[in-house]
Amino acid sequence: MKLEILKNNLKTALNIVEKVVGKNISLPILDNVLMSAEDNLLLLTATDLETAIKYWVPCKGIKKGKAVIPVRFLSSFISLLPEEKINIEEKKQNLLVECKEYKTQIQGFNPEDFPLIPEVSDSDQLLIDNKKFCQGLSQIIDIASPSQARPEISGVYLHFSSNSLKIVATDSFRLAEKTLTIENKKECSIILPQKSAREIINTFSDKEGDLKICFSSNQTLFELSMKEFKHPQAQIFSRLIEGEYPNYQDIIPLKFKTNIIIKKEEFLNHLKTASLFSGKVSEIKLNIDPSEKVMEVFAKSPEVGESTSSLEIKASGSPVEMAFNHKFLIDGINNIKSSEVSFSVSEEEGPCILKPIGDESYLYVVMPIKTA
Amino acid sequence: MNKIFLLTRWVKFNTVNHCYQFLSMDTKELWQSVLTQIQFDISKANFATWFQNTEIVSIKDDKAIVSVPNAFSKEWLSNKYNKLIAKILHELDDKIRDIEYIIKPQGVKKEPSIEKPNIEQLNFEEFKIDKETNLNPRYSFDGFVVGSFNELAHAAAWAVSENPGLTYNPLFIYGGVGLGKTHLLQAVGNKIALAHKKKKVRYLSSEKFITNIVNAIRNHNIDVFKNTLTQIDVLIIDDVQFLAGKNKTQEEFFHAFNALYEKNKQIILSSDRPPNAIPELEERLRSRFEGGMIADISFPDYETRLVILKNKIQEKRLNLPEDVLDYIASNVKKNIRELEGALNRLLIHSRMNGSLPNLDTAKRLLKSYVFSPFDVANYKKIIESVAKFYNLEEKDLFEVTRKKEIVKPRQIAMFLLRRELKYSFPAIARKFGGKDHTTAIYACRKMGQEFEANNRLTEEINLIKQRIYSG
Repeated sequence: MKLEILKNNLKTALNIVEKVVGKNISLPILDNVLMSAEDNLLLLTATDLETAIKYWVPCKGIKKGKAVIPVRFLSSFISLLPEEKINIEEKKQNLLVECKEYKTQIQGFNPEDFPLIPEVSDSDQLLIDNKKFCQGLSQIIDIASPSQARPEISGVYLHFSSNSLKIVATDSFRLAEKTLTIENKKECSIILPQKSAREIINTFSDKEGDLKICFSSNQTLFELSMKEFKHPQAQIFSRLIEGEYPNYQDIIPLKFKTNIIIKKEEFLNHLKTASLFSGKVSEIKLNIDPSEKVMEVFAKSPEVGESTSSLEIKASGSPVEMAFNHKFLIDGINNIKSSEVSFSVSEEEGPCILKPIGDESYLYVVMPIKTA
Repeated sequence: MNKIFLLTRWVKFNTVNHCYQFLSMDTKELWQSVLTQIQFDISKANFATWFQNTEIVSIKDDKAIVSVPNAFSKEWLSNKYNKLIAKILHELDDKIRDIEYIIKPQGVKKEPSIEKPNIEQLNFEEFKIDKETNLNPRYSFDGFVVGSFNELAHAAAWAVSENPGLTYNPLFIYGGVGLGKTHLLQAVGNKIALAHKKKKVRYLSSEKFITNIVNAIRNHNIDVFKNTLTQIDVLIIDDVQFLAGKNKTQEEFFHAFNALYEKNKQIILSSDRPPNAIPELEERLRSRFEGGMIADISFPDYETRLVILKNKIQEKRLNLPEDVLDYIASNVKKNIRELEGALNRLLIHSRMNGSLPNLDTAKRLLKSYVFSPFDVANYKKIIESVAKFYNLEEKDLFEVTRKKEIVKPRQIAMFLLRRELKYSFPAIARKFGGKDHTTAIYACRKMGQEFEANNRLTEEINLIKQRIYSG
C-alpha cells in the first residue's frame, strides 16, 4: 500500500472511526483500524463486533494494499502533524508515514487477522433526509435505559410505517417519541443499540444528503453517499437488539386534568434553581393553580435549605400539586426547541406530557414521584 | 379409516421425534470434538471470540448446519476457518462434506434485575406486562397467601392451572375489591404460560374486551376479532360484571365462549358478585358461567393479614417492629390493597426520616386508614350501594312504582337502613317519599325472613354490605 493524502482529511476520518473502538481485552486486534487503499480512496474500517464503521477518504493512490494500525495511536499522531500532504506506505505490516520534516514508522498487525465486516444485502431499503433523521435521533437517544436488566428498552426503537417514522426511547420512568414523515413501502421496526445510534449521530449529523437504511434480519446498515461522486462516504453497520419493544402507545395519556403553557427558558431556569435545593432525592414540587395562572416550584433538602419560586402560566383545568425528579423534567424540556412548552397532567400520580408548542412531532411523557 | 390415518401420523411423529433426539445428542458431541481440535490450531483469543455460542443445529445429508451468534462470526468462520472445520468434521464423520452457517442471535443475557425498592419515583407499570398474554409476571402463586377466606378459590385455580381446560371449566371467582381476584387469575395465566409454552394464554379486562369489540365493529372486522379469540387456549376475563347491560358484547362473548368451551379451552372469569347477582346479564350467559366451578374470596382473617404483611415487608425490604405489624393487621381490615397502602405510608415515612416508625408514629400515620369515614355506614352510602348493585339510578329507588325490579331493591334498602343504621320505621317511610310507615315495617319484615331463608338473597345482601363498608 502506498498513497498520498491530505492531513486534514485523514484526521477527520480517524476521529470518526476511532469512536467505535472500545476497550477489548479478549481480542486486541479490535483496537486497530484497517486501512485499505483503493484507486482514489482510502477506506478506514473499525469495529467492536457490535457496530462497525467504514469511512472513505479521497487520496492519491499509488499502490493498493492493506494495513492494520492501532487507531488511537495513529489518530493522536496524525493530529500533531503539520497541515500538509502526507505520504503513507505499508512495509511488512508496518506503516511508514512521511510529512514534511517528519519521518516515522508505526508498528502494525497482520491485516488477515482483522474481522470481516458482514455484508448487508440490499433487500429492503429506504432513503431518509439525513439531517432530519440525526436531529430526531438526538432528541430521543439519551432517554434509553442505561440498564441491561431489560435489553429491549436499552436501545432506540425505530418504527417505519407507510408514511412516518417513529423514533422512541424509554427508561420506564419517561418516554420520548419523535415522528418524522418519510416515504416508505414496507412496514418494519427495529431496536437499535444506543451505542450505534450515537455513532450514527457522530458520523452523519453535520452532513447533507439522504441517508440510506438497509434492513436485513439481525442487522441494519446506514449509508451516506459522498457529495462529489457516487460512492458511499460512510457506512455504519449495527447489530440489532432482539426482543419485542413494549406497547408504548398504551402509556401515552389522552385525557388530561390540567393543561398549562409556559415559557420554556423561564421554566428551565426555575427548575434549575430549585434543583440546587433538591438534595439527593432530586425531588422538586410543582404546584399549579390554573385560576391564579401561576405555578410554584418548590424544593427542600435538610442539608442545603429550601427554595420557592413562582412563574406565570397559561392554564386550564383543576389545580394540582405534583413532585418530579428535576432531571427528568429538564431532560424533556432541553429537547424542545420551541419558545413555549405545553405541560399536561393526566391525573395525580399519573403520566404527564411535555410538548413543544406548534410542533406535533415531539412528545415527552414523564412519571411523577409519589407524594402521599 | 380415520383411525388408521391418525395412527400412522402418530407413528411418524414419534419416529421423527426419536431420530431428532438421537441426532441432537450426536451433533453436540461431534461439535465438541471439533472445538477441542480447533483449539490447538488457533490462538486462545480468536477461539474465544469466534467459537463462543456456536453449535451444530442439524445435519442434512452431507451438509452440517452450524449456528453462530452474529454476522461477524458467520463471516469469519465461513471465510477463515471453513477449510479447517470442514476437514475436522469430515475426519470425524466422513459423510459430511459441506457446512452452512446460520445466524442464531443469542437471547441477550438479562442482568438479574435488582429492583430498587424505590417507590417514590413512579414508572410505566404497563411495560412489565407481557405483550402476548397481557399478564403481569409480578403475579404468581408463590406470592399468594392462602387462608380460610380464599382456600377454595386458590385450590380451584391451582387445579385449573395444572390441567387447563379439563378440570373446572369455566372457573368463576368472585369477591370484593382488593381481595386478590386479579392476582389469582393472573397467577393461573402465568403458570400455564410458563409450563405450556405452546398454549396461548390471553388476559383481558372486561373494559378492554368491550373496547376491542367496539373497535372491531367500527372497523368492520369483527370476524378478525372473533378469529383471534377462538384461537386462544386459555381466556381470562377480569371483572365480568362490567358486561352488564352491554348486549352486543355479551352476544359476541357468548359465541366466543361456546367456541372455546366446545374445544375444551379453559375459560377463567372474575366478578365482584356471583353470576346470579349480575344484573342485566343474559340468561344463557349466566347459566354458562354457573356451569363450571364457582369459588368466592372473602375477607382475610387477622392471622392471614399478618402473614400478608410479613410477605410484603420482605418484598419491600423494610423492617418493622412486631407491635407495629400487629397494630396494622388488627386495625386495617378492609382489604389487602388497604394493607399495602398502610405499609407504603410507613415506608415513605421511614425513608424520609431515616428511622423506623414505632407504634406511636404508626398510629399517627395510619389514622386515615384505621378511622376512615368509609368505615361508617350512612344513609347515602346504603342508597348508593344498593342502586349500584342492581344497576339502577339512585332516584329510581324513590320512584312511585310497583315494578318488580325496583320493589325488591327498595325493600332491601329499607331493610338495610333499619338493620345497619337503626332508623325508625316512620323515618324510613319519610325518606322514601312519604310512604306509610307500615310499608317500611312490611318491607323490613319480609326481607328479614327471606334473608334467613333464601340463600341467594343472603348472598346479595352480604355483598351489598361488603360494598357499603369497603367504600
